[in-house]
Amino acid sequence: MTRDVHPDPDDRDIGKPADATPLDVGGHPVRDQGSQLPYPPASGGDSLSAESPKTRTLWGDAWGRLRRNKLAIAGLIWIVLVVSATLSADLWVKPIFGDPISLEFGSLEPPSVQHPFGTDKLGRDVFARVVYGARVSLAVGVLAVSISLVIGLILGALSGYYGGLIDSFIMRTADVFFAFPYILFAIALLAVLGPGLRNVFIAIGILGWPSIARVFRSSILSVKENEYVDAARAMGASDMRIMFRHIMPNAVAPIIVYGTMSIGGAIITEAALSFLGMGVLPPAPAWGLMLSDAKSLMFRAPWLTIWPGFAILTTVLAFVLMGDGLRDALDVKMKD
Amino acid sequence: MALLEVNNLKTHFLTRDGVVKAVDGVSFALDCGKTLAVVGESGSGKSVTALSLMRLIPEPPGKTVDGEIIFKGENVLDMTDSQVRAMRGNRVAMIFQDPMTSLNPVYKVGRQIGESLRLHKGMSAREARVRAVELLETVGIPHPDNRANDYPHQFSGGMRQRAMIAMALACDPDILIADEPTTALDVTIQAQILELMADLQRRTGTAIIMITHDLGVVADMANDVMVMYAGKQIEYGTSDEVFYEPRHPYTWGLLDSLPRHDIDAKGELCPIKGQPPSLINVPSGCAFHPRCPYAQEICTVECPELVAVDGGHSVACHFASEPGFRRGDTTRAGVGA
Repeated sequence: MTRDVHPDPDDRDIGKPADATPLDVGGHPVRDQGSQLPYPPASGGDSLSAESPKTRTLWGDAWGRLRRNKLAIAGLIWIVLVVSATLSADLWVKPIFGDPISLEFGSLEPPSVQHPFGTDKLGRDVFARVVYGARVSLAVGVLAVSISLVIGLILGALSGYYGGLIDSFIMRTADVFFAFPYILFAIALLAVLGPGLRNVFIAIGILGWPSIARVFRSSILSVKENEYVDAARAMGASDMRIMFRHIMPNAVAPIIVYGTMSIGGAIITEAALSFLGMGVLPPAPAWGLMLSDAKSLMFRAPWLTIWPGFAILTTVLAFVLMGDGLRDALDVKMKD
Repeated sequence: MALLEVNNLKTHFLTRDGVVKAVDGVSFALDCGKTLAVVGESGSGKSVTALSLMRLIPEPPGKTVDGEIIFKGENVLDMTDSQVRAMRGNRVAMIFQDPMTSLNPVYKVGRQIGESLRLHKGMSAREARVRAVELLETVGIPHPDNRANDYPHQFSGGMRQRAMIAMALACDPDILIADEPTTALDVTIQAQILELMADLQRRTGTAIIMITHDLGVVADMANDVMVMYAGKQIEYGTSDEVFYEPRHPYTWGLLDSLPRHDIDAKGELCPIKGQPPSLINVPSGCAFHPRCPYAQEICTVECPELVAVDGGHSVACHFASEPGFRRGDTTRAGVGA
């Protein structure tokens, strides 16, 4: 306490000459600011009020809200982690843990330092296969959803914007797609196209468009009633311009959400198809395929099922949490 | 020749319940730099008239079935789609009712104002922005250079309507159609916006078609006034004629239902009794007869033609030319009711 009292008068001692010659000293940061405030007189205050509140874009706002959602950020971090791990796998997984395809190690070795996730029946490192398997899952997720998005957005936009016969035709076609059980339809498509990664993209992509078209259509239907769409038309904008410049940017938010979640769905579908032997062909590393191989060894070598299963679970969950967070972040009504 | 001449315009909507004659035979003319006010209750066809002028009626169900709209010697109804688009926003611009929803939330205000310049004048993004800032300044937005970078949600209602006006005036249009531009604003802002429009009109010479249900709004601004009822034009004349010598009982009713601050402040308002008619089942004869205190036998049977009573002042009422039939003459009230 006494020590605390001491510096105080010391400060005042410095302060006194500072008060006498205010501009010369300026050693103290607080005093420095204080002495500068009156310096630029009216103009300083004016320019402060002239600046409009910091301009934030809609996306900037959304990012601000997303950042505060811990689950969504956890999902995002997990996705980034998985993507970077699998893309850089050639650099670290291969030299350290071994090749995901070649048969280099002993069969069914339990987890160890050398093989953290153990090895499989054919002596391949399970960790390497799980990391490389992410490539298939993510590629299917992103590419299949991209195919669905392209088809779904175009058809949904036409449907919502023009209505009438076009709308009926597109929506009834979508209903036909909905009428078949999803996985059965995918299997049927793959039976025709033949198994393989490329055909998995196509099958999942084709099956995904009806829901995207529906979501986008309803979003467009509500956006196009806005007066700014009438205003754009009154300004002389063409149909295409109104569609792409005025309606679409306001209607994509639900699609971003739905698309993100669909990536998770596509990953599950791919895993299921591979599990059933209709998807990625062995010996390629893919999570569904690994589960399929492991199913007879579930009790003898549980690490064979646990790790691919864990990978599917966490990755799909990450996309769903991310989509959920985006839904909240992009909701204009939650604007603060 | 007038800048805009509308003859016998008829816009109907084909609905499941029948044909809605939203606009049924409207004629008027508008000269450069003049203001025409179109007044009437909700559903009287004011907005449909305005939208028809720009061919903005959604088709189907709407259709302009008859008439002609001669703009600068050309019939708008005969134009191709691309000709109409070249006219919209460029030669004829429109301001909408609700400024809160007429700006696109995802674009900066400056960019939206510049859009029609890029569309019609072929300006680059940069040129359009410079012009947009000038326009924002013209309509009285402080610090326009900063404000052009704002998004609509950062603007207040009055500022948004100013931005809408800037947007409409961007290409220096010949005609500005304002569809109830002040309805969504509070009274003090209303006055500012009207003052702004009048001021801009003096500077640019734009003709204005002002659609409103508020006669008080148009009294000072309008050169001509057209009163509509049930899709028909029932009185048309200069502002002085319609305000000081109205000849149609409906116009009297509109004027009587205005709150007056100068006389009998404590007196009750005199609204027009009844409801505007359904446009599917328009009453026989004069559409106004069920609500008209002066209605006679003939009113229920025969639809009155729009006839000139003196000069350009024309009225659609069977008794308009009778010398004693004037506003405030209570002796006849209730005769036919």
